[in-house]
Amino acid sequence: MIRPVVLLPDPLLSRPCVPVGEIDEAARCLAEDLLDTMRASSHSVGVAAPQIGVSLRAFCMDVTGHPKARSCHGELVLFDPVVLEASSEPALMEVGREGCMSVPDLTGDVARARALVVRGITPTGAELVLEVDAFEARAVQHELDHLDGLLFLDRVVAGERVFRRRRYR
Amino acid sequence: MARFAVTAFGADRPGIVAAVTGVLVEWGGNLEDSAMTILGGHFAMMLIVEVTDDVAVTQLEQSLAERGAPLGLSVAVRPAADPGAGEPVDGASWSVSVHGADHPGIVHRVTQLLADRGANVVDLSTRVVQGEPPAYVLRLSVVVPTTIDPDSLGPELVALAGELEVDVRLRPDEPDIL
Repeated sequence: MIRPVVLLPDPLLSRPCVPVGEIDEAARCLAEDLLDTMRASSHSVGVAAPQIGVSLRAFCMDVTGHPKARSCHGELVLFDPVVLEASSEPALMEVGREGCMSVPDLTGDVARARALVVRGITPTGAELVLEVDAFEARAVQHELDHLDGLLFLDRVVAGERVFRRRRYR
Repeated sequence: MARFAVTAFGADRPGIVAAVTGVLVEWGGNLEDSAMTILGGHFAMMLIVEVTDDVAVTQLEQSLAERGAPLGLSVAVRPAADPGAGEPVDGASWSVSVHGADHPGIVHRVTQLLADRGANVVDLSTRVVQGEPPAYVLRLSVVVPTTIDPDSLGPELVALAGELEVDVRLRPDEPDIL
């Protein structure tokens, strides 16, 4: 079922989500709703559960055909995702301009790890380990942030403005 | 409700934003879009403020001037009616960065070329970097109409940069909706 997208300033978007735990019928329904809502929005490559009003650790994603994508695992839903590996070294970060269905009108430049490894549970209950990079890595990190109650607005790198560096004497 | 444009400018020091917005709150104003930054050691504020219809431009300006005087602020308030949707500039977002030795005319020549091609500047900032010679950094966000081929605009900017003896980079800035 296509669900309405929760918009800023709904407090649900700022709340850390709780684990899904056992994959039951309700969880499988949530997976379908996530996918239906993503498919209904031609410009979105991912939807996190809080964006459709459910404060659970789940998201769907599909970067198929995106020009910036390198790794591509197709359409998928992940429950209780955990990052196993990600580098925060500046050389392994990349700045890109992001928008979000829950934050209409605004976009911002966000630094994300170029690659990471994530583990989660699929709607069939199987464990899935994903190695993602480039745009798919950005999408995963954007959705994971939703599960922690963070929006891209919380990570914007000061709009690529150029500031004066403070001089230390 | 009415909308005013408020500008304030003065030597940078702590408390300027708090003082100016304090006056706005007293007049029941709601701060909408704003940009505030340090320019050449001065703190510059540009604000769009929504107020009730019974607030006059002159009243608000006088209050701000009184409160700003001890802080050395120059203040101006002007009506800023909602421009409506305006002419939507349907196009692609691009970032332009220009840097090189400082000399007069860089911003004018670059923006004139963009204007001639119908590109709309939506954000711009410049910095002078002291040194021998001083360097100049110009950064723009532009919307290039779909009728313009960015592949032709790029070489034109590069040719102009050669003439101005500066470096220019043009890169797409389209956001990805995640």
